[in-house]
Amino acid sequence: MCNSLRHEETCQKNDGLCPIVTFPEVVNIDEIADEAPEVKTFYMSFLDKEVEKNFRIKSGQFIMCTVFGAGEFAVSLPPSPENDRFHITVRAVGKVTNALHALKPGDKLGVRGPFGNGFPFEDIKGKNIIYVAGGIGLIPLRSSIVHALQHRKDFGRIILLYGSRSARDLLYQPDIKEWQKTDGFETYITIDRAEPGWTGEVGYVNTLIEKANVPVDNTVAFVCGPPIMFNSVIDDFMKRGMSEDNIISTLERQMKCGIGKCQHCAIGRTLVCTDGPVYTYRQIKTLGEVI
Amino acid sequence: MSKYFATSQEIKQLAEELCKSHEIYGPQVDQQSGQVFFDVLSDLDALDLDAAIPSMPVKEILFPQMERILQYRYDDATQNVTMEKAYAEKPKVLFGLRPCDLAGIQCLDRFFLGQEYVDDVYLAHRRQSILITNTCTRPWDQCFCVCTHTGPAADEGYDLDLTKIADGYLVQVGSEKGQAIADQRGWTPAEARQLKEKDAVVDRSVEAFPALAKDNKAWISRAMNRITTGFVKHEIWEYIGNQCVECGACSFVCPTCSCFNIEDAKMCDGECERLRTRDSCSFEGYTRMAGDHNPRQPVEDRRNKRFFCKLSFSQSKKYLRPGCVGCGRCQWVCPGDIGLPNVVQYLRRETTA
Repeated sequence: MCNSLRHEETCQKNDGLCPIVTFPEVVNIDEIADEAPEVKTFYMSFLDKEVEKNFRIKSGQFIMCTVFGAGEFAVSLPPSPENDRFHITVRAVGKVTNALHALKPGDKLGVRGPFGNGFPFEDIKGKNIIYVAGGIGLIPLRSSIVHALQHRKDFGRIILLYGSRSARDLLYQPDIKEWQKTDGFETYITIDRAEPGWTGEVGYVNTLIEKANVPVDNTVAFVCGPPIMFNSVIDDFMKRGMSEDNIISTLERQMKCGIGKCQHCAIGRTLVCTDGPVYTYRQIKTLGEVI
Repeated sequence: MSKYFATSQEIKQLAEELCKSHEIYGPQVDQQSGQVFFDVLSDLDALDLDAAIPSMPVKEILFPQMERILQYRYDDATQNVTMEKAYAEKPKVLFGLRPCDLAGIQCLDRFFLGQEYVDDVYLAHRRQSILITNTCTRPWDQCFCVCTHTGPAADEGYDLDLTKIADGYLVQVGSEKGQAIADQRGWTPAEARQLKEKDAVVDRSVEAFPALAKDNKAWISRAMNRITTGFVKHEIWEYIGNQCVECGACSFVCPTCSCFNIEDAKMCDGECERLRTRDSCSFEGYTRMAGDHNPRQPVEDRRNKRFFCKLSFSQSKKYLRPGCVGCGRCQWVCPGDIGLPNVVQYLRRETTA
């Protein structure tokens, strides 16, 4: 039994199954794949099969991952809630993520979670979905993309606009090829500067909004990327008359506990770990702190 | 709830009895510095119920500055990990808490045990603790608990409450745990005259505030109103922020500040430990993420955050009261001039000028 006082509400999004709250459960790294320079995907499985059976995630949630001897970090979950291998994709930027990148298959990690509210999938049935990702912003959106494609007929147009610094930095390329086989999945990919061998679009990701001729009515946009990209994409969407409620993003903050106690992720009156990390643009605007 | 009369001798016997089954903490005066510390009593004779308000808040016992919560060993060769919970669950009695410190514990209780998740580590400390409060018969220089409604006598939340009256103590029971203790003592039920005597003691204490507690006054409700409705000008936050030297002392002496950090430390023999240490929102690194992106930059933003936490309505909903308990310690330690009572003054002066 979990130690959430609002057990029903907290665990209902994970089919009534409780998150791992205080002490990490051990996972084995089964396989490590290079995605891009400094970005690796770690496929893993729980040692305790009972725990694995009870570990259910929702798109947009995150886990706290322990690299033994180095520390713990918050990381979003790219796997789909259904029929997908449990994995995380991480760029080496700090002390703990660099230690993670030094690990080999067979090494162990600790996992707590899943935490956070997740994307509001129930509310957007029947609508068009636009995914706008910049760089590693595709990682938190991957879960939602796979999930939406698994339920293709529940949605209208599904469009992915993805921008990256260079062709080498594009993530999940085999996955994207796989997704493109799904009927009516539109992908537009761009890189910041032209380079030899690249025949696709060149420019920032917001230029794709025009090219894709994105719908505005009955449409939800999931936007995830660096702050500068986020702001310009929002501007373009607002100019096209998109409602603030239909632009959805996930925020990242320094987190230590994941359960709303350490307060590191507080923005104004909300805590990103328990109230977020998924917010609409209308909410983000009123939080009073920059992205 | 029952009320008893106990002589000073009987109160001492109570401490001796509880000491057998619990670790006992109480106020004691350090002979060299004259400072009061609320700490483990190795010698019960050192317990001084007349001592002034302790220099450090009592949260140190339930939410220590640094605490080991997990211990593990990772073997690189076999790729195996052994892990065990490291925090201890010891029965404790806090003997002679000042009412402001009790209010601080109540805030921590509501925050750590009453939000969406229960904090296991805090719960382990709190579950087996007995709280015995001690009414302040006089205020000290920095006290302003009459402004925050946390003293000089405790209203609720204690197990036993002591008030010094003429020839002994009036003991009030506040919980079942407290009643169970009282049932085992041979205390005489309090007479009406003794209850009146307590009221007189409290009244005298309140009346002594203008003469003795000269340092601080804070019209909390007014400041709360201003902060909650966002009526505070940015210049006033800058004025406050410019005085902050980022020492974090205010957070560490505040009975209700509860931010913490979690770090894993490797020791020389391959053993690792996960440490939970107190943190302060005034530090620059508090919100800094890997890759040096920091969404909360200027110092006035960070100051703003602490006072928002103490004085806004949305945070008070978590504590079920304002986040300030009127102990005045932040004013004591601040190298600038931005202890909470002063900030309340600034906010008022700005909005009334």
